[in-house]
Amino acid sequence: MGFLSVVANGLSMGAIYGLIALGLTLIFGIMRIINFAQGALLMLSMMVSYWLWAATGINPYILVIIVGPIMFAVGYICERCLIKPVLDEQKDVREPVAVLLLTAALAIVLENAALMVFGADYVMAKTSFSTSTIALGPVTVSAARFYGLIIALLAAGIFYLFLHRTQVGCNIRATGQDRNAAALMGIDVPKTYAIAFGIGTALLSVAAVVLIPFYYVHPSVGAVFMTKAFIVVVLGGLGSIPGAVLGGVIIGLIESIGAQYMAATLTAMLVYLVFLLVLFVKPTGIFGSPYDW
Amino acid sequence: MIEKNNKKTIILWAGLAVILLLIPMFVTKPYFLHVIIMCLLWAYLATSWNIIGGFAGQLSLGHGIYTAVGAYVTVMLFNTLGLSPWLGMFIAGAVAVLISLVIGFPTFGLRGAYYALATVAISEGVIVLINSIGDVGKFHVGGAEGLILKTVGNSWAAFQFSSKVPYYYIILILLVLGIIAAKKIKDSRLGYYLVALREDEDAAAAIGINVRNNKLIAGAISAFMTALGGVFYAMLIRYLEPNAVAGAVSMSTQMVFMTIVGGAGTVFGPVIGGILLSLVSEFIRFYLGGQLMGLHLFVYGLIVLIIIIKQPSGIIALFDKLKERLSREQH
Repeated sequence: MGFLSVVANGLSMGAIYGLIALGLTLIFGIMRIINFAQGALLMLSMMVSYWLWAATGINPYILVIIVGPIMFAVGYICERCLIKPVLDEQKDVREPVAVLLLTAALAIVLENAALMVFGADYVMAKTSFSTSTIALGPVTVSAARFYGLIIALLAAGIFYLFLHRTQVGCNIRATGQDRNAAALMGIDVPKTYAIAFGIGTALLSVAAVVLIPFYYVHPSVGAVFMTKAFIVVVLGGLGSIPGAVLGGVIIGLIESIGAQYMAATLTAMLVYLVFLLVLFVKPTGIFGSPYDW
Repeated sequence: MIEKNNKKTIILWAGLAVILLLIPMFVTKPYFLHVIIMCLLWAYLATSWNIIGGFAGQLSLGHGIYTAVGAYVTVMLFNTLGLSPWLGMFIAGAVAVLISLVIGFPTFGLRGAYYALATVAISEGVIVLINSIGDVGKFHVGGAEGLILKTVGNSWAAFQFSSKVPYYYIILILLVLGIIAAKKIKDSRLGYYLVALREDEDAAAAIGINVRNNKLIAGAISAFMTALGGVFYAMLIRYLEPNAVAGAVSMSTQMVFMTIVGGAGTVFGPVIGGILLSLVSEFIRFYLGGQLMGLHLFVYGLIVLIIIIKQPSGIIALFDKLKERLSREQH
């Protein structure tokens, strides 16, 4: 593979990392909760997308129309039935640690439920474009990854516009800035929380459908992306949307370029090393401010 | 709890002490004693985590680093140099303190969430590192294969016993020391500083508390105590598998689960949570372990989920309510 192809691969993987991190950053920004179930919910999205694809044979990208609403509903219901009761109980606690642990427990439940239902097999949606490549001038890239990059960037763009141009988006941002003031302005804060959690989860369905044509699905696939997403949000700045995308791209590039020149474990170490360096030089991340949240 | 100093509580504590001391005489099956030892170890680890996670409210999700440091440093020193684990554990503790300062220095200047995420990422990095290193100089690390403790037979100097009973008394002493340390810290100036900065960092800084330094001190104490737990784990299990010693699911998250379920920021909450959750986990594994893959962890997760939803401030809150009701009935 030429260097430019490696860069292209890194970009596409990075954009997907960014997409996963977007949901994390949104939920944290609005509710101050680190969602530890993000990885498990991604796994769930991938499983649902895979089984829908296997059952119908429809192009996975089109399936997002079905998987997206399903995941939104899953997120919405999770927030309403699990998180809200604990959040209400812990109203006077500054950092809702119990909620965070709740999402971690949810992740364990989801992962092991998937293990029980689907077994530990590795599956992948072998679509017509899974193994084909696209030539862009001198650069040859895998078609699935190229489409993934485009769709991920598109989704991030739409999400940005949604937050800034629609009433619901403004409600979400207002709640994130000051929930008491938002409530005084007539915003239904609990409902906004549930919507934000639902959207954060629905974003995962986009990541899921672009991943399944070239990435194996198994019950613990979420853990792989979870840690990356954590690194990405800290790198980009907690709560920042451009930060999440840029952070994702940086991690993706380090991984793919690193893999060309050194052993896989060293590349993994390099990611953590860059992360530590950024933490020391600019602890708030590229676009973050320590006082935002 | 002893503050009231009435006869009843003294009798209660004395009775508890006698029971704890006599347990090895009644529990003769090594399996059951091992389960009890693991309960006490988890209670101790949760108590250690609670210093930074509960008292100071700094959510460390990477305490597996410190158990790994404790376990690996001690075993490496013993295997290669023959250094007694009783000495090695202090070197391991010092290394853990150093690492806690390296992690804490950049992140403690920021708000809670950054620290939590940073600890996750760093502990994942440490796991990758341990998995990929075969040897450091003449020290054998073992990489992904794991590291086996050199066995020398029954020896106090080598912290190795053929019976489980000495392990029981050692972990019991360690746990009691841990609880005393937690109690002392809670009642000390440092303890009040930590509560102040947990509740409101800006207000704490405004009244002249050095927020970062106090977090660093609490983090270092917690790291040192956790490392000692790691040493005990290494001596008991005698085989270090990177993902079991340092892993998020098997180590780091467990300590947090137990502390939160028991009651974070209290002295006895982590002890209750540690014992309860490890009993539940062992019980489920015993009955469901061999069956459908994933079933026992699924049930475990479900139980934790339900406890957190029903009792977000920890099981210890139930005891407080009970005590309140009892005292109301007496008057």
